[in-house]
Amino acid sequence: MRKKTYAVAALFAAAALTLSGCGSGESGGDNAVAEVSTGTGSDKAATVLDKPFEKPDLVLTDTQGKKYDLREATAGKPTLIYFGYTNCPDVCPLTMNNIAVAKKQLAQDKKLSQAQKDSLRIVFVTTDPERDTPAALGKWLKGIDSDVVGLTGSFDTIQAGARTLGISIEAPTKGKDGKVTSMHGTQVIAFSPKTDGGYVLYGEDATVDDYTKDLPALIKGARP
Amino acid sequence: MTRRTASAAALVAAAALILTGCGNSDSDGSGGSGGGLSVGSAYMPQPVSDSMAAGFLVIANDGGADDRLSSVTSDVAGEVTIHTTVGQSMEQVKDLDIPAHGKLVLESGGDHLMFEKLKRKPKEGDTVSLELRFTESDPIKVEMPVKSATYQPSAATKSSSRSSSDPTAPTDPSTVSALPALSTLSVPFTTSHH
Repeated sequence: MRKKTYAVAALFAAAALTLSGCGSGESGGDNAVAEVSTGTGSDKAATVLDKPFEKPDLVLTDTQGKKYDLREATAGKPTLIYFGYTNCPDVCPLTMNNIAVAKKQLAQDKKLSQAQKDSLRIVFVTTDPERDTPAALGKWLKGIDSDVVGLTGSFDTIQAGARTLGISIEAPTKGKDGKVTSMHGTQVIAFSPKTDGGYVLYGEDATVDDYTKDLPALIKGARP
Repeated sequence: MTRRTASAAALVAAAALILTGCGNSDSDGSGGSGGGLSVGSAYMPQPVSDSMAAGFLVIANDGGADDRLSSVTSDVAGEVTIHTTVGQSMEQVKDLDIPAHGKLVLESGGDHLMFEKLKRKPKEGDTVSLELRFTESDPIKVEMPVKSATYQPSAATKSSSRSSSDPTAPTDPSTVSALPALSTLSVPFTTSHH
């Protein structure tokens, strides 16, 4: 089985941090990720953490404009968290759609009970709160899965919450042409309903099939 | 459990191998060719909203001279820009290199086209028309099919198992940023197929 340790995730985060500041992204990268040890030989997308993350203490605003206390609202529920932004054509919608489609397929195939499906919390936290108002988030998520919880708030709060999960994001910047450049997180983190700990990571390469295979276990708090 | 230590070079080489395999399959969207350039594997994932969409394709350069993708227009968008991925964010670039005897790969998690000011929301099954312009070669028209929001070309071609597709994981920023130069590399492909 494939098992990467937290150190690997941290390395990715560190590499991303290094690159985010540099224009070409060519120079720092090679050294930063020169020695990444990953297991292969299986089709597992999940990285089970030896040391789970604590759920971030995030109190933000949901798509209805209401206060949403992440720990309180998701306590004892299987929860997937991703940090991204809606003005993102590629990775953010792909990641969210992969999860949403997997959930839908499992429900259709009766591999999840209604109660199991309802217990799952999929949380999308914006990294671009200025543009991603509750209304903008709501509109975007409706195009993916209206059950997804969309959260916005102050960037500093979001950044601090992301950091506790090893996800490094910087505030959006505006270029001379007025175009905003935002940053998305690098992974989806699954929290156990049993411990509320973030115990499994998925990279951006995780597919619908990966989530379809793993969600039944994640919903029970089991190892995928 | 098989473990392996992959160097950045190996990752890049692996990615190059995979991409070479993908580029040859023109079963998905394809276009004409202009001079030494040919376009294949074009697709657009169905976008979430009517505000923006992404597009991916591979431009092969069989000629002996370098070229650059310099601008793109489409019937579906008021503006199409060329983007590169730097770490966790995307930056608009003026143009992208298409090396002689190499290829420019626009793929999810890496370089891509960004369609803005959409005139309609492209839906799965639609086709979007593009015109690619280059600094050297003549323009190329491309019919780009709209695929599902979760479409993955590598999974569709089944040319790679996860063990070999892993090195292209977009979480590795160096791989992503190195993509435009991939096809020029001749580093031996190393992997640990169990």
